[in-house]
Amino acid sequence: MPTDLESPRRHVARNPRRASAAADRASGPRQTQKEATRNRVLEAARELFDTQGYQGTTIREIARHAGVSVGSVFTTFASKGEILSQVMEERLDRLYAELDRVVPHLRGSTADRLRSMFAIHFAFEARRTKLFLSHIAAAYDWTLPSSTKPFGRTQRLRDMISDVLAQGVADGEVDPSADLLAMVELLIAAYGWTYHLVVTDGADVKVMTAAMDRQIGLIADGFRPRSS
Amino acid sequence: MKHISPNQVAGETAVKMPTRRALAKQQTRAKVLTAARRLFSEHGYEGATIRDIAAAAGMSTGAVFANFSDKSDLFREIMSDDMSALVESMREAAGRGRGVEDALLKMFSAGYAFYKTQLPLARAAFSVSWASQDGPVLRGAPQVQTLHDLIVEQLTLGIQRGELSQEAEIKLRSQMLFDAYLSNYPQAIFEGWSLDALQSRARDQIRILLAGARRG
Repeated sequence: MPTDLESPRRHVARNPRRASAAADRASGPRQTQKEATRNRVLEAARELFDTQGYQGTTIREIARHAGVSVGSVFTTFASKGEILSQVMEERLDRLYAELDRVVPHLRGSTADRLRSMFAIHFAFEARRTKLFLSHIAAAYDWTLPSSTKPFGRTQRLRDMISDVLAQGVADGEVDPSADLLAMVELLIAAYGWTYHLVVTDGADVKVMTAAMDRQIGLIADGFRPRSS
Repeated sequence: MKHISPNQVAGETAVKMPTRRALAKQQTRAKVLTAARRLFSEHGYEGATIRDIAAAAGMSTGAVFANFSDKSDLFREIMSDDMSALVESMREAAGRGRGVEDALLKMFSAGYAFYKTQLPLARAAFSVSWASQDGPVLRGAPQVQTLHDLIVEQLTLGIQRGELSQEAEIKLRSQMLFDAYLSNYPQAIFEGWSLDALQSRARDQIRILLAGARRG
């Protein structure tokens, strides 16, 4: 198994974006080049993480595929974890922009709206499932700086579920005394767990969506108002 | 008769020599495992190399490879030992429970207490569990299945005692309970949650996951 030889301690710029803002005014062309390097690195990384997984991808390979030097990768990114974090942030921006448009128009019970919301997630991630598995695996990476956002630290997902549940309380479908925070965490755990099915059974989007639907049903049993 | 004496000597040494060799081999294995446990805890699975582990154990990489086929073999052995001990403490804790909710909570709490002292190792295990090659092996370990069975057992007892309905969907519910148990480890690892915080979160989760199966 390949090992990442590049230590994150080697990185140069702590906050490359802010540091480059000043450089931008000083030298435009250099900034444009830096932006181009950044995009090439992100594109190469997205492909490699999606084919080789998180552990199987090294910074050296990313640099080679992007056609840049290892050194120039490190002037923009502190670590492999940060590169993945940036790749996912750009992808998730698109997913959540789509969900922001769709979720307010979802119909049906609270459980059904949750089901639709997660079905959209699976349909989106299924295009690059292994990339998403990398995203989850990275949550346990030693070298992750605190600025990165691996799976489980995505506030937008948490907020979106909370909103649906809050609406459920307003509609009288969710017990107002239920522990909403615990529900949110359970749903996120169930969502993450469902991706195991890809690792163990090679599940596709249909299988994952069906598995999630059943889990949502069981959690919904737990938040239904107790009144007779 | 004259042949007996040399044969006896040979026989004795044949019995004794492997024992001593086996003992030495066992000690070597133990030394490697101790060093590996420390390095996996400090540097994670990816960060610890066989070379480093050999150096820390004070032996050559060749000596390590004579005992373990590769790094994942070494890691599997460490996890296997730990998980066997974990299963026992969780089984014992479940036995002290009063009712299904309490038994599950005691069981999960025992698990958190067990790993609280070695979160870095737990972190390495979680990381491996998502890898496409080693993941299924770790997830399919017999101890993992036993833990799952322990949850199934508690739910079955709950039905027998009339706490849970007959239609409790044991398969799905036990899997979700197990998953909820595991899902709290990242908080423990990254946010330094106390044992109390973990227990309180687990209690809420168990209640939600059992609510739909409660009778009446």
